[in-house]
Amino acid sequence: MTARQLSTEAIHVAVRGGWGFRAALALAGLLALILAVGMAMSIGEVPTPLAATYQAIAHKLFGTDTLLSPIELGILWDYRLTRALVAACCGGALAVSGVILQALLRNPLAEPYVLGISAGASTGAVGVMILGLGAGLLTVAGGAFIGAVCAFVVVSLLAAGAGGSSERVILAGVAGSQLFNAATSYIVTTSANAEQARGVMFWLLGSLSGVRWPDVYLAAPIAIAGFVICLLHARALDAFTFGNDAAASLGIDVRRVRLLLFGLTALMTATMVGMVGSIGFVGLVIPHAVRFLVGPLHARLLPFSLLGGALFMVIADIVSRIIIPQQILPIGVVTALFGAPAFAFILYRSRRQSL
Amino acid sequence: MSITARDVRWSTAGRMIVDGISIEVPPGKTLGLLGPNGSGKSSFLRLLCKLRKLESGVVTLGGTDIAELTQRQIARRAAFVEQQVHTEVEVTVADVVQLGRTPHRGALAAWTNVDEDVVTQALTRVGMADMRDRLWRTLSGGERQRAQIARALAQTPSELLLDEPTNHLDIQHQLEILSLVSRLPVTAIIALHDLNLAAMFCETLVVLQSGRVVAHGSPEQVLTPMLLRDVFGVEAHVQRSPHHGKMLVHFLPQNLTAPHVIEAA
Repeated sequence: MTARQLSTEAIHVAVRGGWGFRAALALAGLLALILAVGMAMSIGEVPTPLAATYQAIAHKLFGTDTLLSPIELGILWDYRLTRALVAACCGGALAVSGVILQALLRNPLAEPYVLGISAGASTGAVGVMILGLGAGLLTVAGGAFIGAVCAFVVVSLLAAGAGGSSERVILAGVAGSQLFNAATSYIVTTSANAEQARGVMFWLLGSLSGVRWPDVYLAAPIAIAGFVICLLHARALDAFTFGNDAAASLGIDVRRVRLLLFGLTALMTATMVGMVGSIGFVGLVIPHAVRFLVGPLHARLLPFSLLGGALFMVIADIVSRIIIPQQILPIGVVTALFGAPAFAFILYRSRRQSL
Repeated sequence: MSITARDVRWSTAGRMIVDGISIEVPPGKTLGLLGPNGSGKSSFLRLLCKLRKLESGVVTLGGTDIAELTQRQIARRAAFVEQQVHTEVEVTVADVVQLGRTPHRGALAAWTNVDEDVVTQALTRVGMADMRDRLWRTLSGGERQRAQIARALAQTPSELLLDEPTNHLDIQHQLEILSLVSRLPVTAIIALHDLNLAAMFCETLVVLQSGRVVAHGSPEQVLTPMLLRDVFGVEAHVQRSPHHGKMLVHFLPQNLTAPHVIEAA
């Protein structure tokens, strides 16, 4: 065997870290997340030293001594920690949703934002916020959920009607996004006053401001429960590698699994979008980066995506607050700045592979 | 009987695709499913392992009606290999073959030594033991098909259903795959296009046309010039090969109908 043959052979063999590598990666990820949450809590109008942020958490959780004033404690615990926790939940849930959509649709570009689910959730949320749909019975999150489900149904029907191939699904998503974004813009421009409009537009690009503990109590259980249910279906998701018939011939109840996991994706996306606005590309960037590190098996992909998504969003929130002095950039702008180039890269690579 | 189908029917978009097919395959035998494009071969195979819902008729696996079996129970005893499958996921050969253990494992069960042994045996059987860590996208068509057969074997099936497993493969790999399948200790039903390969590797042939069985029997009984004309629309001469002893179909060009014409030319 010549050196040249050897080197191509080396490329063709998958290089994946073993058990020790994954354990180290998980530990590093958790430490990074704790550090990122601390940093996210330390910045703001009144900067706090990093150590003080952990002091505040320890004081609230375990009653340890602290030199922080009650006001400082309140800011750290009620405003900044909740913001970081909701960011982490959103990032984790969106990344897990991306993994599920990519597996079930067998499309590396599938993601809640690209498929228009986020756009539908926005329309639903704006409908409740500005038009007052649901006559007060419907919360903004509830409206977002209904919108997300509508968008999912519309995009699925469009994709199925167009042939259901991998590219068609994305095109259907584009059409769906445009439709729902247009509806949102229509509602905002015709019905909202100037102040409402500014608030809504900022929220549509993603905003974590105004997040409090009740939001954490909603986001955390949904992110964690969604993740656990997905993890229980990790093997079934693997079985979809070669399509629906292949999964069925491996004994998977395809209809049940698809219905359950698509519903769960819609629920997670809708909850997060209803809370912080539509934040794109997290479900795209994170699963692909994680696959690169731990391979495509879902039993590993899902937990690392949850962790990676949480870390990514907390960091994105920090970046959005410090990149322009005295001003907060919408967090969706930050994720899109990372995500859109990643989308282009994945598009380019999947084209090369199919040749 | 290992597999039986009795008066099986299935239609889609208002068109009858499988129109009352009945077959019986004894354990360990290899049955070749022949017929022109659109004759219902693929659909029939999918009905046998419940990937499509029967409209009427009964299918049994090892004597049990598949209507009474869950998808998972079926997957533990009958494996299906599709014509050509594709994925954009960066899976390795080992990942693909391990999928075959899916119906045997619970959602939380760990990977056991038994699972590992079965996967290694399956890979060895298809001659890919040293290719475990190769990426799927770097495999040739023949290697992909062998990996899928190894995945099917990892299901430890008693019945193996293959939908044109040799399509798009060169002749060396066609022979390799079919001799591999015919040597396996399982009941096999193979949908095939190549009549000579079917005669070479299958004990029994079934010919389908418009979703109906039009011939059924040994290669000698089935492959007749008349059937080839009626079903496939070709003129042919059939003889027993002096070299391998199996039936051999000589296709004749449309404008030359008799052997002596060729000799004269």
